[in-house]
Amino acid sequence: MFLINCPYCGERDQSEFTAGGEAHIVRPKQPTELSDDQWAEFLFMRKNIKGIQFERWSHAHGCRKWFNMVRDTSNDKIHAVYKMGEKPPIK
Amino acid sequence: MLNYNSPIKDQKEYSEIKISEVEPTLKLNLRGKKRDFITKIGKELSIIPPSDPNTSSGNEKFNILWLSPDEWLLYSNDKIDLKNTTLLEEKLFNEVSKSKIGSIANVTDHWIMLNVNGKNTFDLLSTGCPFNFNNFKNSKNAVTQTLINHIDVILHNKDLNNLNLFVRRSFSNHLWSWLNDSSRFF
Amino acid sequence: MSKDLRITNNKFIDQTTRISFKFDGKTLYGFKGDTLASALLANNIHLVGRSFKYHRPRGIMACGSEEPNAIVQVGSDASMTEPNTRVTEIELYEGLEATSQNCWPSVNFDIGAINNFFSPLIPAAFYYKTFMWPANFWKLYEYFIRKSAGLGKSPTKPDKDIYDHRYLHCDVLVVGGGISGIMAAKTAAKNNLNTVLIDDKINLGGTTLFQQNECFKINNTYSNEWLKKEIESLNSLKNLTIKTRTSLAAYHSYNYLLARENLTDHLDINEKKDKVRQRLWKIRAKKVIISTGAMERPLIFNNNDRPGIMLSSSIKKYIDYYGVKCGQKISLFTNNDSAYETAISLNNSGVNVNSVIDIRDKTNSIIVKQAEELGIKIHWKSSIVNTNGYKKINSIEIMKLTDDGAAVVGEKIKEQCDCLGISGGWTPRVHLFTQSGGKLKFRDEDNVFLPDKSELDQISIGSCNGDFELDDVIKNSVTLTNKFLNVDNNDYENLEIISSKETTKKNIWLLPSDKLLSKAKQFLDFQNDSTANDIKLALREGFKSIEHVKRYTTTGMATDQGKLSNMHALGIIAETAGVKMGELGTTTFRPPYTPLTFGAIVGRNVGEFFDITRKTPIHDWHVENKAEFENVGQWKRAWYYPKKNESMHDAVQRESKAARDSAGMLDASTLGKIDIQGTDASEFLNRVYTNAWSKLEIGKCRYGLMLNEDGMVYDDGVTTRLGENHYIMTTTTGGAANVLSKLEDYLQTEWPELDVYLTSVTDQFATISICGPNSKKILTKVIPDLDLSDKEFPHMSFKNASINNIKCRVMRISFTGEHSYEINIQSSFGKSVWEKCFEAGKEFNITPYGTETMHLLRAEKGFIITGQDTDGTMTPVDLQMDWIISKKKYDFIGKRSLYRSDTIRDDRKQLVGLITEDPKEVLEEGAQIVSEINKKPVEMLGHVTSSYFSPNLNKSIALAVVKNGKNLKGHKMFVPMKNKTINVTITDSVFLDKDNKRLNA
Repeated sequence: MFLINCPYCGERDQSEFTAGGEAHIVRPKQPTELSDDQWAEFLFMRKNIKGIQFERWSHAHGCRKWFNMVRDTSNDKIHAVYKMGEKPPIK
Repeated sequence: MLNYNSPIKDQKEYSEIKISEVEPTLKLNLRGKKRDFITKIGKELSIIPPSDPNTSSGNEKFNILWLSPDEWLLYSNDKIDLKNTTLLEEKLFNEVSKSKIGSIANVTDHWIMLNVNGKNTFDLLSTGCPFNFNNFKNSKNAVTQTLINHIDVILHNKDLNNLNLFVRRSFSNHLWSWLNDSSRFF
Repeated sequence: MSKDLRITNNKFIDQTTRISFKFDGKTLYGFKGDTLASALLANNIHLVGRSFKYHRPRGIMACGSEEPNAIVQVGSDASMTEPNTRVTEIELYEGLEATSQNCWPSVNFDIGAINNFFSPLIPAAFYYKTFMWPANFWKLYEYFIRKSAGLGKSPTKPDKDIYDHRYLHCDVLVVGGGISGIMAAKTAAKNNLNTVLIDDKINLGGTTLFQQNECFKINNTYSNEWLKKEIESLNSLKNLTIKTRTSLAAYHSYNYLLARENLTDHLDINEKKDKVRQRLWKIRAKKVIISTGAMERPLIFNNNDRPGIMLSSSIKKYIDYYGVKCGQKISLFTNNDSAYETAISLNNSGVNVNSVIDIRDKTNSIIVKQAEELGIKIHWKSSIVNTNGYKKINSIEIMKLTDDGAAVVGEKIKEQCDCLGISGGWTPRVHLFTQSGGKLKFRDEDNVFLPDKSELDQISIGSCNGDFELDDVIKNSVTLTNKFLNVDNNDYENLEIISSKETTKKNIWLLPSDKLLSKAKQFLDFQNDSTANDIKLALREGFKSIEHVKRYTTTGMATDQGKLSNMHALGIIAETAGVKMGELGTTTFRPPYTPLTFGAIVGRNVGEFFDITRKTPIHDWHVENKAEFENVGQWKRAWYYPKKNESMHDAVQRESKAARDSAGMLDASTLGKIDIQGTDASEFLNRVYTNAWSKLEIGKCRYGLMLNEDGMVYDDGVTTRLGENHYIMTTTTGGAANVLSKLEDYLQTEWPELDVYLTSVTDQFATISICGPNSKKILTKVIPDLDLSDKEFPHMSFKNASINNIKCRVMRISFTGEHSYEINIQSSFGKSVWEKCFEAGKEFNITPYGTETMHLLRAEKGFIITGQDTDGTMTPVDLQMDWIISKKKYDFIGKRSLYRSDTIRDDRKQLVGLITEDPKEVLEEGAQIVSEINKKPVEMLGHVTSSYFSPNLNKSIALAVVKNGKNLKGHKMFVPMKNKTINVTITDSVFLDKDNKRLNA
């Protein structure tokens, strides 16, 4: 059970959060201009990395805010959390 | 005449724990991002919605609890005459929502307010709540949203071992039974 | 109780309080403070069970959670009996009843023991190899194997005991209350850290608690006396919480730990009532100090499993702590110094020690010298090659070891004994450390795995960190603790410590015997009966990974998880395979460290608290009016309202007919409601729904369909425009939370520029739906001042109104196809308004209906229910709802996916209606649809999603999804069932009132 530092509310138990998959996948502004393959790339393709991964989380049972997290999937260590729209603090 | 009907209508006492329903109380959900919003609310209620996370502000009539950077819960300290609830709602709605600086939603019956007090208050909560109360319990007017036995709640620390708990009405009977069941063991 | 097995000058056992208990039906006595193990031993009972495979007699071996043999069934009550309980962990209480497991008909005469004589026929993986073929015979074999294995009995009735959970947050958690844990906890608490110290025993102190030996002194007092004062000093520390009888079960990431506290297991049966039996502590610690100590290893030699063969340190605890002699003539077998502590303790208590058999050449540490001075005989450089005695050991056979330790030579000496203590060195308890993700390192000098690297804020101190001698334990624990807590505690700075030092080390994983290896029985896993031979066989058969060898031989897979002998298994594998142990690694230690009861895991979430239940504001009325309830998500919804002796079918037929003939009413409060405000509210709706919203007038309602980005239908509902920038959206009952979360997600992450605020108001309103041709007349009675004319208040519009001065919102919308209204009023008045409507409707036979009738009525109209007629693979086009997709809008969620190559296929499954040839035949929901019946294999073209008998049409109707169904109207299909085939015809999905005349009736 992680301890997650919500960028708005502070450290909370993982049970207050929901995970929302890979971060920094921008919804295309002009979907109609895209080919099937390009749209499929946005829709389906995810990296699923073993190691440092950028993820979206929501403090669903707290402030209801979405934010991003840098997590090492090999040992679950959370390296950073940052607000939506902010740049990742590490590469 | 319509009959008023709150879900619990009860109070119970256990070893160093008292739990009771405190209804009807007025509750409004306030949302806004702009500075104008904060100013307007401050002017209308003489309370500034707090910008610090997990805190509240208030006066003898109302409390405003921080819920998120753009969301607050306003509630009345005293039980109210339900006919008056809409007056304040309409006033704020005109000043805020119609003035395009935020949103006002009446949640008087969406949330049910319970009061929990007594020395075992936080031990009772710890039977089903993952939140760390070590600092919270010593901070008057602290606020948190968390889960108790998987049910969303808002907690407002009123005084030493005395807090108000908000739970959605449809969950309130279940949470009430659960709190009573857990209180047996203190 | 055999008097001569008890010593009287004992501090820990209350010999004035006698306790009676039953073991295998026989009444026996012990004292307050005893465990079942110590009480049995005091009654000269060693034999308590049989081994799993060969049914060999097995006795008590240890004194703690590592006990592999002595597991019993406690209690006989069908709801309270508990299998697989270790006698070493059961505190004796008045009325305790325990019985041996894994033996039939009795522990003394066990039919399965015949397996022992056939044991050459039962090698490793015997069961896998023999009974797995032919595969379909397993059912038969399993019955007999399980019967003869007899691994305890599960309770057959619900557990009457009470369990609960408690969360705990602390600065420092110290796991293990031995000498190092006590010192660490004291240091932490004195430095203003909120500290919790837990220990699984009755009292703190670990083994030092009873270590009264000249060789171990602190500041000139015996180590136990020094520690006693330390323990007493803990009482004055305000920041310290001590929990005894509490064992740590699991150590997860982020210092989240689970500990089980036993609260009533030690109480007399009549004192247990109405109390919480066990509490599961869910601990979140900023820092964790593990001080779980070490376990003594056995030695692996021929016939090392007889009752009476025990761990040497356990014999010491039984004599020094419990005051129980494990035998009258005890021999000890060792490869290290600790057996000499046992020898001295026994000697001091007047127990005759035959001899110590030591595999080492010679050693001259202080403690060995002390033993020699006491006249204890030592066989140096020797090994035990065999033991005798079937139900209890009666003699051992000793031979000299060769220089390389690979064989035995010389004369065989036979020594009579009634108990044998064995000591193969010490294994640090690193289980919790590795559970938490910590990596181990191997120390060659004494063959131990030690904590190495961890990602968490934790340390291991004391013997679980590889310090086995008193001065090392104290000095290193203090240094490590101070550094870890970043404090400067000098309480323990100038301690004068006397500690015997072990100077010689020697280890032989598998001790030689004068018998051939294949003829010898050297047990590794005592509970699962795997021997050194089994391991070697597995290696010969080609298994290399230790995880595979473990599973193939079942070594370490019994209820004790191989705590005692995993190290020997690894040692033998490493030796045989010729690799270094450090490179071989260990098997994975998984939680729980010791078994947890299901009760402790479940806690209070039993009975009415098994799952959360949500109730509408009108719930009590439904109960008073004898509704049957249906679970919809967490909601309890009125399902139907049976009148006297009415079946569900009859009730639903009656309700459905009434709703169309005159009037029906439904509690629709469970629908999700989201208040939407903000200057971009209309634009927001344009983006989340498939249809256009900009032109919706204030006061009007519109049905909307919400898709996922993949184009599949996600949710639906009616949204009403309350004001210029104000809407109220309704969602499905089950989808409410998810829809709000999804919409917030888009607002916060994709469209932060939109000025829109969402607030859930689901519980703010009670929603009462009144439908049917008389609904208008009823509403007029309830809200007389509201103009209900079609001109003023047409279908799909909304009015603010009030009932007895309480404001409400009334929508004219319909999910039944009838003229109908929905009143939304604040929940506190919901029941009262419902009753008012019911009263007003009585003259029109207004009929409350439940979810089943609602489903039937909407199916007659072909309205979908998302989640029933859709399953996440249906697009609006598949639902034949093309009309709801705006052609003008540039974008909305899921739009692009509607013309992907896959979604534009003609032969997708599409929603259609089905009519059965026999109008009385009601199809089963989920039934498959085919176009041919004689072909095999036959293609499944689709399935039935909704099916009812319609009382209004007087025939069976169904909705279904069928491949290319759109183009198959009028085609005959078949629904093959178990006993028959039902003929059906594909039709339009609207069965009733195709031109919507009833809406304005």
